[in-house]
Amino acid sequence: MNDSTLFQFSTLTVLLLLLAFYGGTYLLTLLIKDKKENTDAFMVSNHRIGFGLGAASMTATWIWAASFYAAATSGYTYGVSGPLHYGLWGALMILFIYPFGRRFRKLAPNAHTLGELIHARHGASSQLILASSNVLGSIISLMVNFTASGALVSVLSPLSFQAGVIIAGVGVLSYTLWSGFRASVLTDFAQLMAMMAIAIVIIPAVLFSLGGPAALVDNMDVLTPEQANLFSMDAILNQGAPFFVAVLAYAIGNQTISQRLFAVREDHIKPTFITATIGYGAIVIGLGMIGLMALITGIEPIDGDMNNLIPQMVSMYLPPVFIGLFFILVIGSLSSTADSDLCALSAIVMADVYGKNIAKNNPDPTKMLFIGRLTMIVATLLGVIFASFSMDILIMLVFVGALWGAIVFPVIASCFWDRVTNTAFTWAVVAGLLMFCLARFELLPMTGVIGVFFELLGSAGGGVVIGLMSFGFFGRRAGLIIGVLGALVLAYFTLGFLRDYTVLLASLTAYGASTIVCIAISLLSSHKFDFQKISRDVGNYDHNAKAAQS
Amino acid sequence: MQSLLLGSYILIWPLASLAVLAVILTATLKDLRKAKQEQRGLV
Repeated sequence: MNDSTLFQFSTLTVLLLLLAFYGGTYLLTLLIKDKKENTDAFMVSNHRIGFGLGAASMTATWIWAASFYAAATSGYTYGVSGPLHYGLWGALMILFIYPFGRRFRKLAPNAHTLGELIHARHGASSQLILASSNVLGSIISLMVNFTASGALVSVLSPLSFQAGVIIAGVGVLSYTLWSGFRASVLTDFAQLMAMMAIAIVIIPAVLFSLGGPAALVDNMDVLTPEQANLFSMDAILNQGAPFFVAVLAYAIGNQTISQRLFAVREDHIKPTFITATIGYGAIVIGLGMIGLMALITGIEPIDGDMNNLIPQMVSMYLPPVFIGLFFILVIGSLSSTADSDLCALSAIVMADVYGKNIAKNNPDPTKMLFIGRLTMIVATLLGVIFASFSMDILIMLVFVGALWGAIVFPVIASCFWDRVTNTAFTWAVVAGLLMFCLARFELLPMTGVIGVFFELLGSAGGGVVIGLMSFGFFGRRAGLIIGVLGALVLAYFTLGFLRDYTVLLASLTAYGASTIVCIAISLLSSHKFDFQKISRDVGNYDHNAKAAQS
Repeated sequence: MQSLLLGSYILIWPLASLAVLAVILTATLKDLRKAKQEQRGLV
C-alpha cells in the first residue's frame, strides 16, 4: 500500500503558517522584553525559573525535529519495541542526569555553564575542551534543525529547501536575540503546549483512521518474529543500546540541558526532571507509534526516505488541517531546540570564553551582552550555511553523542573525586576520542588481538555507563560494585561479538578508554582538591561588576 | 484481547502527554500567580 505523493500546501498557506508561528512567538517575547537586559538573566534567568516553565523548557529542548522522525523510523524498522528503544532511553537520560545535576548545582549554585564549574575545578584547558565540545554539538544541532525545516517546507509546499532553512534561521533568531534565555524558556513553554496538544490529537486520529486497533491486529502477521517481539535483541543491539550510550553523553555534555539545570530554582530541580522525563517519553514514543502503524499497514516510505513516514501517514489518512498541525508540531520542536542552542552558544562564549578567559572574571556586563547577541547572529549564519549539507540525522546524533562519551566520566569524576587533576581530565578526553575514532572509522582491523582489545575496552565502557547510573542513584559503593560486575558480564558475553556492532563498540570504547586513563592518572596524584573553591570562584556577573565598581 | 493490548500500547502515550500537559499548565499558572503577588516577572 502506498501513495507516491505527499499533500502540498500552497506557497501562501505555508508562509501564513510560518508567519503565524514565528510572529506569534515573537509577540510573546515582547511580554518579557526589558529595555536593558541583565547579563545573568540573559544566560540563566537569574536561577529563578519555576517548576512548570522549567519542565516545559527542558522537555521542549530535549525534543528536536529528529526525535519524531527517528522514533518513527525506529518503530518502522524494529516493530513493536522500536519506539521504546528511541524514546524510553532518551527520556531516562533526563532522569539520569538529575543526581549529577544536583551535585553540579550544589558545587556551583551561581554557574551559567558547566564549563565555569570545570574552570574552577581544573583551569582553562579542561574548561575549553568542554566548551569546544558544547559549541560543536550546538552548531551541529542548529544545522540539523534548520535542515529539518528546509526538508519539511520543501516536501509539503512549492517553496525551496533553502527558503525553509532561512525562514527558520531568521524566525528563531528574531525572538531569541534580545532577551536570550528568558525568551527561550517562555517560548519553549508555548511551543511545548502546542506540541503536546497536537501529539495528543494526531496519534489517536491516525490509529482510528486506519480502522482502529482491531484492523492493525488483523495485519500483525506482516511483522517478522523480531519485529513482533517486545524484547527484540535486534532492536536492542542496533537501536536501543547505541542510542542509550549516545544520549547519556549528550545529556552530560550539552549546555542546553545544564543551562536549564542552573536556571531552575534549586528546590524545583527534582520535579522538573521527573516531569520532563515523562513528557519527553510520552510525546516521542507516541509519535514513534506512527512508524509502527505504518509498518503494520504495509506503507512504503516515499523515495525510501524514512523521514517521509510521519508526513506520509498524516497526508494519507487525515484531513489537511492535521497536516497543518503536524507542520506546526515539527516547526515547534525544531525551533525550541534551535533557540536553546543559540542561548547555549551565547552563554558559552559570554561566560567560558569572554568571562573566564578574556576578562579573567572581571567582565563588563554590557560588553558581555553584546558578545552574546553577536554569537547568536554568527551561530545562526553558520547553521544556515551548514544546513545546505544534508546529512543523516540519526547517525549524526549517535556520532556527536559518542564524541561526548569521552567527556562524561572525567566531568562526573571531577565533581565527586578530589584527586582528579587537570592532566587526568585532559588526557582522558584525548584518549577516549582517539580510541573512539579508531573503532568508529575502523582505522584498525577489528580482528584478532585488536578486536579483543577493543571489545574489552567497550565492556569496560559498558560497565562505566551502568556504574555511573547506579552511582547517581544508589551511591559510590553500589556504583563501583555494579559497574565492575557489569563490565565483567559484558566482557563474558561480548568477546568475539561486539566488534560486529561498530557504532556501539566505538561509543563504549570512548567511555572505557577515557575512564581508565582518568582513573590511572588521578591515582598517580596525591593532590586533593577543595570543592568549596568552586562556589567561591563561580558567581553572577552583574553582581561582580557592581561589587567591582563600588 | 490482542486489540485491547495493542490499542492500549499505542494510546497510553497520548494519555500520558495529556497528564503532563495538565501538570505543567497548573504549575505554570501557580508560578504566574506567585510572580504577580511578588511583583516580579515570570522568567
